[in-house]
Amino acid sequence: MKDVIICRCEEVSLTDLEDAAKKYNCSARELKLRTRAGMGFCGGRTCRPAVDKVLTSITGEDPTNNIPLKVAPPVRPLSLSDLGGVNHD
Amino acid sequence: MTKRIIDHPVLGTIENERTVTFTFDGKTYEGYERDTIASALLANDVRTIRRHEATGNPRSIYCNIGHCFECRCTVNDVSNIRACLTLIEENMVVKSGDVQPDPLNPNNEGPLPRTYEEYAERKAGDTDENA
Repeated sequence: MKDVIICRCEEVSLTDLEDAAKKYNCSARELKLRTRAGMGFCGGRTCRPAVDKVLTSITGEDPTNNIPLKVAPPVRPLSLSDLGGVNHD
Repeated sequence: MTKRIIDHPVLGTIENERTVTFTFDGKTYEGYERDTIASALLANDVRTIRRHEATGNPRSIYCNIGHCFECRCTVNDVSNIRACLTLIEENMVVKSGDVQPDPLNPNNEGPLPRTYEEYAERKAGDTDENA
């Protein structure tokens, strides 16, 4: 159970997150920067709730307080050619 | 094609499907028309679509609805295509992803020096060994 992978993009396990959260007693954002959970290809859309949950269970941080994990556009990975409209001219 | 559900109580039966040929990492596979790359590979017992860029651990479909990008592969030289959403086409060339070189450590020579002093020390050690 401890080897369960929370962030698949960056391969961060539950143990990694728990250890970092306990050691540094940090905010969600700091946890993300320390472990890279949520910084991979999918942009944290898959693991963000799980990362928040791990933190809530250890430090008691409410993800809506403090510094939350940021969600920034574009909301899903897309190629520069799509962004530039190469396929839609 | 042994892994398919041939007769489904709700979705019906699969019969007289047109087969589509495609290649995955150089090997030729057959799938049915309207298969996604992921389902066609799964039906052919291929469960590893790519390997994790850093650790090399195998990856395949995870969400299967295009959300997680775990099944991304290279299709006809376009990279990062989701295998779970892309339908197979005749003579499609699919390639998996493999381990990428570490940008901080391109030659995998062990931990990098953290300071210039460390670097100078190692450099001195190297020349001593070579001398």
